[in-house]
Amino acid sequence: MKNYLKLVNFEVNRFIKVYLSLIGITVVLQLVGTFLKSKSYLKEANWMIYKEGVPVQEFLEMNGYMDLVRVLGSWWFIFPIIICIAVLLIYVFLIWYRDWFGKSTFIYRLLMLPTARINIYLAKATTIFLMVLGLVALQLVLLPIENKMIDVMIPDEFQMALTSKEAISSYHPLSVLFPNYFSDFLIYYGIGFMVVFLIFTAILFERSFQVKGIFYGIIYIAIMMGILVAPIFTVLFTGKSYLYPLELFYLEIILGILVMILSILISRYLLNKKITV
Amino acid sequence: MKKLRIMRGREKMIEVKNITKNYGRKKVLKGVSFTANKGEITCLIGINGVGKTTIMNAIMNLTPIKSGEILIDGKKVDKASYEKITFIPDEITMLQQMRIEEAMEFMKDFYTSWNQKRADEMLHFFRLEKTDRISELSKGNRAKANLLLGLALDVDYVLMDEPFSGIDIFSREQIAEVFTSHLIEERGVIITTHEIHDIEHLIDKAVLLDQGVILKEFDAEEVREKEGKSIVDVMREVYRA
Repeated sequence: MKNYLKLVNFEVNRFIKVYLSLIGITVVLQLVGTFLKSKSYLKEANWMIYKEGVPVQEFLEMNGYMDLVRVLGSWWFIFPIIICIAVLLIYVFLIWYRDWFGKSTFIYRLLMLPTARINIYLAKATTIFLMVLGLVALQLVLLPIENKMIDVMIPDEFQMALTSKEAISSYHPLSVLFPNYFSDFLIYYGIGFMVVFLIFTAILFERSFQVKGIFYGIIYIAIMMGILVAPIFTVLFTGKSYLYPLELFYLEIILGILVMILSILISRYLLNKKITV
Repeated sequence: MKKLRIMRGREKMIEVKNITKNYGRKKVLKGVSFTANKGEITCLIGINGVGKTTIMNAIMNLTPIKSGEILIDGKKVDKASYEKITFIPDEITMLQQMRIEEAMEFMKDFYTSWNQKRADEMLHFFRLEKTDRISELSKGNRAKANLLLGLALDVDYVLMDEPFSGIDIFSREQIAEVFTSHLIEERGVIITTHEIHDIEHLIDKAVLLDQGVILKEFDAEEVREKEGKSIVDVMREVYRA
């Protein structure tokens, strides 16, 4: 356990500079975006109302109220999220391959540590999870700040007073990233973490059997996906369901957990018996 | 150097028993067997590509073998073995961006066998600066830092892969000096090299490899005394035969 925690700390530190840059990009772009969006709304309102003489009510009917949803739908908000997701997705692969390639022979050191090798796998997975959850937490802190900025910059009569939670729910793509219910959060992120485990195991197949390993990895992921979707497909194709929807849901959760456990067990075997530096 | 071998009635040694390994269809190890005793320097000799590094990797469980067995003091390698045996590959096994002091800290964190006093002593001996980044070290100094990280562990066995490869003459001399010091004494050492001149006089046992098979395994001192031949003489006989 102690070695696992040390490895997590070590892995987090290895990525911390890039991670802090991601945080920096997100904070700056989103706050600047909120500021500029509010500013341009104000400019438009001033122009229409004071220069063109459009009554406030008419302006609001034409342009709508200013609220956080306008910011959420803009590139200022979405672009840093896409960048963060893309970088973390790439890092899911890089977190392993960086130990093998380039000048680094660090994989020698990792595999020769006097600790169970599965700790390396779990530490790398934990690092990815912490990074993902960290960015989600950052976003949850940023949203109320962005909302407050709008509140401060825009006169009350031009504002639709939405809480950040209401804004997210009304903007569909974000409600997947920041679900309304904790159970949804567990499901969406549970699926995400399971995919990370599957990719990690596929990478270890490749690192153990090289070209053949890519094939094994793909087959492994396909089989696991097959297991997961089997109950749903059975219902869809036969039209019959022997389970109530809630039971089907619980079955899927159990299968998801099984897939994760299987991935860990297979990875442990590969790391102990098949991996090659 | 051959004094410390027998402990509690069992010989302390690394036993490589009839190991085979393929890379695809190519057979790189075709039934390799030899032993390396604690307290001795065993040298695996052969040109590049004969399987020396693969044997080292196999001993450390860094690559799987197709068949055969490797035992360290009668036991298969497991996580506890890494407190007993260390491997110094031909390139430093630390992150390039680390400073030497950070690399030492990493080792101290994970290995109970880490001996800081010895590490400091080697730092001084090799004239390395703690604050130097690994990526900024010269090739010779990288090799020395690599050696430091391995030899500062209080382990029974040390495996070294081509420690003299591609480094300047003064670094080579300094590293060769390590072999005669207390840093090596009493440990079991397996070293691979294709240029044995630097350490020929220090080797206890030579294992000559070619194309994945062992051509000859011999006690260097015995051959020197009985047949009046150096290791290079025996190599000439074997490889030219």
